[in-house]
Amino acid sequence: MSYLEIKNLQKKYTANGPLIVNDMNLSIEKGEFIVFLGPSGCGKTTTIRMISGLEEITGGDITIDGESIVNKLPRERGVSMIFQSYAVWPHMTVYDNIAYPLKLQKLPKDEIKRRVEKAAEATEIQGLLKRYPAQMSGGQRQRVAVSRAIVVEPRLFLMDEPLSNLDAKLRVTMRTELKRIHTQQGSTSIFVTHDQSEAMSMADRIVVMYKGKIEQIGTPMEVYQDSATRFVAEFIGTPPTNFFDASIIKEGKEIYAKGEGFYYKVPASLHQALADYVGKEVDMGIRPEYIGISPQKKEGEGYLCDAEIDFIEPQGSHSILITRIGTNQNVKIHTVDYMDMKPGTKVSCYVKNEMVMFFDRETTKRIK
Amino acid sequence: MHKSLKVPKKATPYLLLFPIFIYYAVFWLAPVVSGVREVFIGMDGGFTLTENLKLMFQSELFSESVLNTAAFAAISVILQYIIALVLALLLSRKFTGSKLLMFVSMIPMAITPTATAILWKTGLVKDGWINSLLMNLHIIDQPIVFMNAEGFNAILLLIAIDTWTVTPSVMIILIAGLQGLQRELKEAAYTFGANKWQILKDITLPILKPSITTSVIMRMIAAVQVWSIAVMVLGYSKAPFLVERIAFYVDAIPGVDTSTKLAYTYSFLTTIVVLLATVVYLRVSNRNRIAGGGEEG
Ligand SMILES: Nc1ncnc2c1ncn2[C@@H]1O[C@H](COP(=O)(O)OP(=O)(O)O)[C@@H](O)[C@H]1O
Ligand SMILES: [Mg+2]
Repeated sequence: MSYLEIKNLQKKYTANGPLIVNDMNLSIEKGEFIVFLGPSGCGKTTTIRMISGLEEITGGDITIDGESIVNKLPRERGVSMIFQSYAVWPHMTVYDNIAYPLKLQKLPKDEIKRRVEKAAEATEIQGLLKRYPAQMSGGQRQRVAVSRAIVVEPRLFLMDEPLSNLDAKLRVTMRTELKRIHTQQGSTSIFVTHDQSEAMSMADRIVVMYKGKIEQIGTPMEVYQDSATRFVAEFIGTPPTNFFDASIIKEGKEIYAKGEGFYYKVPASLHQALADYVGKEVDMGIRPEYIGISPQKKEGEGYLCDAEIDFIEPQGSHSILITRIGTNQNVKIHTVDYMDMKPGTKVSCYVKNEMVMFFDRETTKRIK
Repeated sequence: MHKSLKVPKKATPYLLLFPIFIYYAVFWLAPVVSGVREVFIGMDGGFTLTENLKLMFQSELFSESVLNTAAFAAISVILQYIIALVLALLLSRKFTGSKLLMFVSMIPMAITPTATAILWKTGLVKDGWINSLLMNLHIIDQPIVFMNAEGFNAILLLIAIDTWTVTPSVMIILIAGLQGLQRELKEAAYTFGANKWQILKDITLPILKPSITTSVIMRMIAAVQVWSIAVMVLGYSKAPFLVERIAFYVDAIPGVDTSTKLAYTYSFLTTIVVLLATVVYLRVSNRNRIAGGGEEG
């Protein structure tokens, strides 16, 4: 049995309303850094509020160490929450903010002092203990919120978009910082974000959510390279995966994906999976870095089509080329080989390393 | 270099505010100055430091009016705040009927002071609606003669009426504060194990303190200036207050030289009391804030 188990978790806010969290199942091991990733409104906040005890559950169960927590008060659950707004109390000094949870536990004063100082040290705010929140920057308030969360030595950390109120640069530094504190404290954490690059850079495993359901659970590499659904392929990665309408055609021993403007010979590794889809429409997805280009005409293994480059977005380390293929007017290609290509150049496009994905139109699931 | 009428940068705001200064000088400062001057001009037209003050100290009902004003201000503000806070805490959470209750509790705000006085006067007379209500509910057998209330009882009666009138507006300020309070501030305390009472005492009230402080000062100033309900419900000199005395000397015995002087002097005293109350309150609340924040660490 895993450390934290979420079983068939459900949430409705009103009796006849929609299922905001729809049969969620998840197991988390001790020490993991889990990221809930999904667009705004998909139920991430609702889920961690149910884990923290701020929101009642409608169905299912949540256990920590094999023990159900759903009927317990928040403080009996041993979880600490870091809110998006930090929720640092404005009328208390930093010291009092961090000490308040311990005062509620009626700990002796010297122990409170010792633990507050230790928590402040871990987040590097020892020098700010006498300040009021109004006298601090967003990043410092964030650290106070983290201190206050670790001072109670929780069994589980919950963080709801803790970095989204910070400016871009600080957000990136705080990622590393939070990860460092997580490792140092040996805690188990659930971190919520709608920012996929934040999720990729921090998570041990990412839980991709969409419309109250889990789309995929996996390491950052897994969800990126081996996306389980069309949504995951689209949501993760910048620029996102390019999609094309395609119909599956069988010609002798070969299988082809035919779309407007391309006729692509599907690699043999996918033949078996696609067998049931012959004659059907599917979604074909290729990530920007797996579309190769060649200024010379090059038909052969992986060949997709010929295209004309419309725009170029140089990024320094690489460039994004924008072109049209069939009905998709906004195909993005990630290139390091042709970074200074001129708009209007005619190129041959091909799929690199057989990295093509097909998705069922109905279930949106990956065909593999 | 072209020459034009140049106004120094620093002067611009003052220039723009100039009409306001004029307005205050004419309609506010001038009457205040002339009022204060009157206090230090004796009956013979010459300067005097104490003549009018002495006149006031020795005037009928002076000490009663001071004590009554103090008692009224203290008790009514405290009472109104407690009731308003309880109502605000109840009404700021949503339950069936909370909207209706909020509406009903705000009715007194819509009634003008004169109408309030009449409403209560018709209720408080011997065969008024309050007595008939109490007798129908079998709480009392004999009608109470409220209007005969004297001394402290009269003050309590006026406090009750004032509380009925004023509590809704205090409640609105508190509800606005409660609703403006970020939900997560309370939730954070709750997740760390605070119960409802601790959240109220440690989080909600301290955060609301600035807005409470401001409105308490406003309420105290208004309470010190009470007179109209006292006069309209009970009549002059039944429940003397500082401002009631001013009205009494202007209104009830006009034309006498000493009346005018007494009215000015009472006004002067009232202003000083209001100023002092404000200064003391600001001092105290400021000290509390510093002490409350820096108790440890
Ligand atoms: N207290 C609430 N009452 C009713 N609906 C709510 C409440 N909180 C959130 N919702 C709805 O639940 C859905 C999920 O919200 P939320 O969990 O906040 O999403 P996320 O955090 O992923 O952006 C949204 O459609 C939102 O409108
Ligand atoms: Mg959210």
